[in-house]
Amino acid sequence: MNIVIIGNSAAGCAAVEIIRKHDPQSSITQLSEETHPLYSRCLLSYYIAGSINKDTLLYREPGFHRKMNVDLYTGPQYRVVSVNPNDRTVTCENKEVFHYDKLLIAAGASAKLPPHIPKDIDGVFVLRTIDDVERILARIPHVKQAVVQGGGLIGMKAATALAQRGIKTTVAIRSDRVLSQMIDFDASLIISRQLRENGIDVLFNTDIVEVMSQENVITGIKTDIGDVLPCDLLIIAKGVAPNTRLIDNTGITVRQGIVTDSHMQTDNEFVFAAGDVAETFDIAIEEHTINALWTCAVQQGRIAGLNMVGIPTHYDGTIGMNSLNICGISLISFGITSLSPEEESKYKIVSRLVPQSKLYKKIVISPENRVKGIILLGRIENAGVLLSLIQRKIDVSQFIDELTDDRFNFGKILKYGGKAELNRYYNQSDEK
Amino acid sequence: MKQIYCIIERCMGCRACELACAAEHSQSKNLMEAVREEAIPKHRVHIEVVGDNGELRRVQAIAIQCRQCEEPACAQACISGGIRVDEVSHCVGVDPAKCVGCWSCIMVCPYGAVVKDEENHRALKCDRCPDREIPACVASCITHALVYCEPDELEKELT
Repeated sequence: MNIVIIGNSAAGCAAVEIIRKHDPQSSITQLSEETHPLYSRCLLSYYIAGSINKDTLLYREPGFHRKMNVDLYTGPQYRVVSVNPNDRTVTCENKEVFHYDKLLIAAGASAKLPPHIPKDIDGVFVLRTIDDVERILARIPHVKQAVVQGGGLIGMKAATALAQRGIKTTVAIRSDRVLSQMIDFDASLIISRQLRENGIDVLFNTDIVEVMSQENVITGIKTDIGDVLPCDLLIIAKGVAPNTRLIDNTGITVRQGIVTDSHMQTDNEFVFAAGDVAETFDIAIEEHTINALWTCAVQQGRIAGLNMVGIPTHYDGTIGMNSLNICGISLISFGITSLSPEEESKYKIVSRLVPQSKLYKKIVISPENRVKGIILLGRIENAGVLLSLIQRKIDVSQFIDELTDDRFNFGKILKYGGKAELNRYYNQSDEK
Repeated sequence: MKQIYCIIERCMGCRACELACAAEHSQSKNLMEAVREEAIPKHRVHIEVVGDNGELRRVQAIAIQCRQCEEPACAQACISGGIRVDEVSHCVGVDPAKCVGCWSCIMVCPYGAVVKDEENHRALKCDRCPDREIPACVASCITHALVYCEPDELEKELT
């Protein structure tokens, strides 16, 4: 069997590993427009901060693809421009054609750039690839002040990394809070206070309308309320868009991303999708969506790989999940953390907020007593135990009041789950 | 593969396992000397309280340590590629040179078995005591709550 994988990051790598575990025979061809060896995007902000060196960015040891017997083609010429389901081929930028029996599209996503932000000005960057980071690092010696646009995950990571470099950094956020996809307003208050105490300025309800430059080098930005902020570096962190263009005209369904079923299969039986490009079922919100996250990409790549080699494997779905350190505070969140006023009347919320200690725990519980969302700020121990309550749809009505207790632990699941949970613990030697 | 089980009816949370674990992972591997070592020895097993069992002064507890999952959630979540299953021992290991302390492993471990090494900002977890035949926590357990056996041998241990 000829397996072709488009993309060489989290999902692609996970697929390769699981395919080779079960199928040493099939040929695997992997195509990637990035020339760098397999690296972790999530570590790029650590590299900007200077807390790790370039070698640490490597996600797998050098020689990984050889060891896995993968034919890896990299470079802009191997960017896949079209998928041709009729003759089961993919065509690359350089017109080279690869035939597949099974295809995995793990083409990832690209950083969004607002149309009015000129990207050809020196000092304006996105943060997505090693190449982006190398350009940022080359610019940093000339930078006294920086602006980050966007208060999401990448914005936060970029701002704290720049601050670690001793650069005076301002974050401009369009909404009224940081990490609006991840946390609620109360948590945002604590985080923004932490950022300010660490010298990072946070501007809410602020958009950038103009980039000012001199001789094509950035000198500052203008906000929508007319303020001018001088800066020597601007990082745009406005989220990512899935790289779905390669399946235009294939008939494969795209909504937010490439639509996949519970086997990570698209509506073409020979084509699978995983990672930031794929739209999957979300367990918490109970709808299809994209969770463009490393951990989700790895899970999806594994499931796709198993199904591609003929081991039918069901994927329950993703959950939005993030773990972040912001200037010394740990933050983990899962699923639905903010509710609309109408939802709020139906859902139960248990929370514990100690602002002076920068401690906050919040659990969102559905009318059916299932956990749908979690914020852990300051104390994150046993986060995965709480996550398993969402994943396994456990009825928490017996122990709702214990959920925000720092001592909530796996033993409680045994206690309240009774004989069934004990048997699961005693008889199962491993968690699948 | 052998597994460490905690029979919760027998565990009273005395924390002897924690001490033995810390000592085993010290330089000297001896509790009396370990307490004087410059780098404070850290335990990878930890006691969690389950509840009281109704009897006076009797706490029901559980010793939590890594279960060395075959397809570990922590390794799948690890953003640095620093958590891998060892091909020989089948144990799940953290490479301290790769770990950046992002706590993605803590985010997903369904047992809460990965803990923070705050001092070094690294993830810390059970390594099944590679230098010992029986892990230190199991050997130290005075109530025989911790047992180390093949899954199909557990029935015998429970009776």
